[in-house]
Amino acid sequence: MPNLTCRDGVEMLMDYLEGTLGSPEREAIETHVSGCPRCAAFVESYQRTPRILRAATAEALPADLALSLRRFLAARRAEDA
Amino acid sequence: MHVVPVAAIADEELAARAATGDAGAFEALVGRHEARVYRLAHRLTGSDADARDVLQDTFLAAYRSLASFRGAARFSTWLYRIATNAALMHRRAWRRRPTESLEEFLPQFDETGQHAPEVAELQAASRADVVLDGKLLAAEARAALERLPDLYREAFVLRDLEEMDTSEVAGLLDIDAATVRQRVHRARLMLRGYLSHLVGAKT
Repeated sequence: MPNLTCRDGVEMLMDYLEGTLGSPEREAIETHVSGCPRCAAFVESYQRTPRILRAATAEALPADLALSLRRFLAARRAEDA
Repeated sequence: MHVVPVAAIADEELAARAATGDAGAFEALVGRHEARVYRLAHRLTGSDADARDVLQDTFLAAYRSLASFRGAARFSTWLYRIATNAALMHRRAWRRRPTESLEEFLPQFDETGQHAPEVAELQAASRADVVLDGKLLAAEARAALERLPDLYREAFVLRDLEEMDTSEVAGLLDIDAATVRQRVHRARLMLRGYLSHLVGAKT
């Protein structure tokens, strides 16, 4: 796969990271990225994006909710019985 | 008599006991999974109030359909499918409003397919690595997720935030693995551009 562009690489990036590409495509991406600082930076920010969102949206169970959930379920169970 | 502690009993065994009316077994399942179901629901719906409703709906639906859980799948997969469906239904019922597009935040290329000139190298340090108020970051993250098209958000939340396997997400959403990868990829690209100040990318 000669002459891979940045756009081609970005298009295949998820498949590359998931390991679903064939070896010609994989090697073409690796060759391109190793010689392209912008793509190297792109890959880094692309991988950082889910990590930042994962940390920022990890909502803990509110303290009152465990008890209210159990009360709710017990009441429904009693209705069903 | 040797008593096996509840903590050592597999979900599937607890589910079988709960199906025969063992309330304690069901309680144990609730205790094991409530935090993750709440977190998943919060990520999918974007609010605490909605996540609370989804949490209740999920465990009530699970309780009422325990008899149909045959143990063919893992209990957690079965439960998260119920939770995901409940969250998506909740969203569709209460949040019918147009989503602003994140298309403009997709990466830009010049006519030869190279990164456009304004796509600069990684900033020395991204703001997220410096000091950023946690609540502010959470609010920004929620706002970003809200702006994703629904189909992309679902796939991204399950695959990247809940860290499920692509094949598990495909099963949950009834789509093929290639479609999951394509949606997650688009979501990452949009979010990366939209949150460029946090992820260290100039768009």
